[in-house]
Amino acid sequence: MDLLLPYIACLTLALTIYAALRPAPPTVQVAMVVIGVAATGWLLGIITGSLASFGEVSHGVFFVLFSLCAVAAAIRMITHERPIYSALHFVLVVIATAGLLLMLEAEFMAFALIIVYAGAILITYMFVLMLANQAENPDEPYTQAIYDRVPREPAAAVAIGFLLLCLISGTVIGGTPDLQTNANSQSQWIVLEELPVQFKTNVKILSPDFAWPPITENETMIQFGMDGAFIVSQDGEVLQLDTSVLPTNTQMVGWSLVNDFPVTIELAGVILLMAMFGAAVLARRAIELTEREKRIAILGEDTEEAGGDA
Amino acid sequence: MILSFAPSALAGYLVVSGLLLTIGIIGFLVRRNLIVMFLCTELMFQGAAIAFVAVGRYLLDYSGQVMVIFILTVAAAEAALALALVVLLHRQKDTLDADAYGELKE
Repeated sequence: MDLLLPYIACLTLALTIYAALRPAPPTVQVAMVVIGVAATGWLLGIITGSLASFGEVSHGVFFVLFSLCAVAAAIRMITHERPIYSALHFVLVVIATAGLLLMLEAEFMAFALIIVYAGAILITYMFVLMLANQAENPDEPYTQAIYDRVPREPAAAVAIGFLLLCLISGTVIGGTPDLQTNANSQSQWIVLEELPVQFKTNVKILSPDFAWPPITENETMIQFGMDGAFIVSQDGEVLQLDTSVLPTNTQMVGWSLVNDFPVTIELAGVILLMAMFGAAVLARRAIELTEREKRIAILGEDTEEAGGDA
Repeated sequence: MILSFAPSALAGYLVVSGLLLTIGIIGFLVRRNLIVMFLCTELMFQGAAIAFVAVGRYLLDYSGQVMVIFILTVAAAEAALALALVVLLHRQKDTLDADAYGELKE
């Protein structure tokens, strides 16, 4: 029976999404979202065991809050009949995702996600939505078009989603218990033969006599104990490190970006350039001009009439 | 800075990313508004981003976060092109209904 519980939670969630997709009054839809959130919480509870598995209980509480927020906003996003509200709920999903990334110690990516998604991409979507989404019937501006109100094949889509969800949660449940916990190894979170130069400068300021480079043990230079981080010099000198001299998440991501993926970042630049050209070419509207209009546009005046006056 | 990261915590993050991906796929199949369909693909990108960062955090590898930068790149490029296409289609038929463009498949 315990083996079946996650799948029952998945089924509950799928049925809730199906019910929320049907045209219904807003109160019913909100109720469906609440049931969906409860099913999600149940599924997460089955899979993670307890909040203590996150190291700290507060960490677990924030994880549950952000993930329930993300799932609720995502369900509301695909079920809301007004596209503008869908886009706004997507902003909520982005913010909740950024919260989850913060929990994962990815501060740079969390805030980059908010800036790029909520700040840039969503604004583009809003522009196009407001440009294209006019009410079909001018007498009733608050009713949505029929294609926004009636979903297409909700039963088949939810069935596919349910199978996919079962596959994912089954794989996760079956695969993760075999993994080892990283906490026991006192962490190689900073695995660096290639520390930023700034780090060496900071160490030299702390201890001018430090025999650089430090001892590397299993590719780990900075060791973490219960009482903080320290490095060991070639002479055996142990140097306690303040957390302020350690490389930050942003520095490490930047280093990984240019060190491990130098070609990919160039390709990303090319993709963005081609997307810009493509969008400009697609959105361009060809304007037919008569001979006279062309002459006015080029010369800035109507030479024919000017000639007639003379 | 160093908190333990147990496999069960990793499982939690992976399931949340799977949920976002699944909801995005359902939305893409169900909605008939072209713009909302593309919005649902962005939802799938969010799920992928969480999975990348969570596994990167578990393996203590920063490549997972670098992948999110590339996901952002692809998402931005996709948004620009897809929205330009939607504007183009909307000029032809004055509707955002995906079913209205059924003759494209013939």
